[in-house]
Amino acid sequence: MSGEPVLRRGVAIVDTFAEAFGMRAARVLITARSNAWARTAAQSMTGFATSVIGCKVEAGIEAELLPKETPDGRPGVSVLLFGFDADGLRGRLVDRVGQTVLTCPTTACFDGLPEATERVIVGGALRHFGDKYQASKVVDGQRYWRIPVMEGEFLVQEAFGVQRAIGGGNFLILAADQDAALAAAEAAVEVMRKVRGVVLPFPGGIVRAGSKVGAKRYKTMIASTNDAYCPTLRGRTDVTSELPEGVNSVLEIVVDGLDRPAIESALRAGIDAACRPGVIQISAGNYGGKLGKHHFQLHTLLAEASA
Amino acid sequence: MLTLRYKADTSVPVEVEGLTPSAVRGLSVPEIERYEIFNGNRKLSLAEFFDVSGDPADGRLEFEGNLAGVHWIGAKMSEGEIHVRGDAGRHVGSEITGGTIHVHGNASDWVGGEMHGGLIHVHGNAGHLIGSAYRGSKVGMTGGTILVDGSVGNEVGLTLRRGLVAIGGACGDFVGFNMAAGTVLVFGQCGNRPAAGMRRGTVGLFGGTPPALLVSFRKSCVCRPLFLQLIFRQLQSLGFAVPSDCWSANYSLYNGDHVALGRGEVLIREIA
Repeated sequence: MSGEPVLRRGVAIVDTFAEAFGMRAARVLITARSNAWARTAAQSMTGFATSVIGCKVEAGIEAELLPKETPDGRPGVSVLLFGFDADGLRGRLVDRVGQTVLTCPTTACFDGLPEATERVIVGGALRHFGDKYQASKVVDGQRYWRIPVMEGEFLVQEAFGVQRAIGGGNFLILAADQDAALAAAEAAVEVMRKVRGVVLPFPGGIVRAGSKVGAKRYKTMIASTNDAYCPTLRGRTDVTSELPEGVNSVLEIVVDGLDRPAIESALRAGIDAACRPGVIQISAGNYGGKLGKHHFQLHTLLAEASA
Repeated sequence: MLTLRYKADTSVPVEVEGLTPSAVRGLSVPEIERYEIFNGNRKLSLAEFFDVSGDPADGRLEFEGNLAGVHWIGAKMSEGEIHVRGDAGRHVGSEITGGTIHVHGNASDWVGGEMHGGLIHVHGNAGHLIGSAYRGSKVGMTGGTILVDGSVGNEVGLTLRRGLVAIGGACGDFVGFNMAAGTVLVFGQCGNRPAAGMRRGTVGLFGGTPPALLVSFRKSCVCRPLFLQLIFRQLQSLGFAVPSDCWSANYSLYNGDHVALGRGEVLIREIA
């Protein structure tokens, strides 16, 4: 924190920044006979994908797609996956498409980043499930694998595009009580999910267990609880609390995006929606600017929104 | 755009092999007029058969007139665009590796023979051996797309290795004969012995009453192959009319030809 907070509808916006990291992202388009089955596959694919630290990948549903927006003219869902590098992302794509989309009734799976020059082989690896009964078709310069399955055929694109992306954009909602914090976070998630090019990888888009780097007492831990923002620890002498008077519950929104403008749009909309009764302060998580090269200044975001 | 208006009146075949957008790009009109082509076994200048005008810098050639006796139009082309305003002779787009050829009329035999890439769209009818291997070749067409809006003759896609051939109208006998892979789709009536000797690949018979398949094909199931939706969309985007009832139809799938490798498939549209 450096300057004075600004007020938005009575909520203090701290003069600080969210610190985010360079990542690699892929976009997967899942289509199916119905919206419901496409969503089922997408939810299964994006399960247990909240943090690269614990899950090796971060993922979420970007948008539901109309038949006219998909390669095969069926309803679909767009999923974004984020990893540290292209090779790691390739492995996660093969695992997750193979276990959660290939197995799901009526689905097919397509690359959602056709312009990306960096490409990783996904269908080309999954084809081996076909035990040499598989066949491929090249349509419009792209190879698709037809893998025979008991239901009929699973169609998956040979290669998926991977592009540079940003993970870990965030803000913190500091509220008078748990109900107010949750209502504000839910309002923020609702508007942020309308922004294309971003996903909110945590459950329901909300994190209640923000973390700090490492741990004070367990030296092997990569991350541990963010004690400075835990209300139950404010009275401890071994904690330097960041919570102002009256704050009794904090929730965090984490956002991963394909590019900076998408994350900025999502943060701007989310912070604005979170400024509601019962919320005392909006802040953001950072590491002093020393770890992530992408910084999102809250005041700058809101100034651009007002301009 | 470079315009080549055919003015000759000869019964001896005229062959323009090698007259491609990349061959004339950068040449002046007088230089192009001196470009040598064959009339039978005689090598003559282009100007004796064509009025030449325009500028080839944009990579587009426009042939005009009745070119039914002019052969090898666009052969071995690698880039650019050729339009034939009228009928074309044999071997249009033979062995091309890229670019686009539109024949706004009919074309004769061997359209896209052993082509490797690019697009050939015949807006009228075409002759025999479309997208086929030349006699004695082990491998035929290895890539690209051939579209014929009208009807075609026999042996379409002979020894096809890769690529897409779509026929809007009727098709003669032996479509997809000895196919190694790739896709041939016939939207009109089809002649006898389709897909005979095919090893892999897809022959789609989407017209009214399909011919009897050889006994060396076995029925697998009735299905709606999703990859057809992708191909139909590609065809539509290229200006090829896909009948509306094909999009949501069921297809009977037959495997064969079991006298060969037997990994091919014939899809026959089920008439509702």
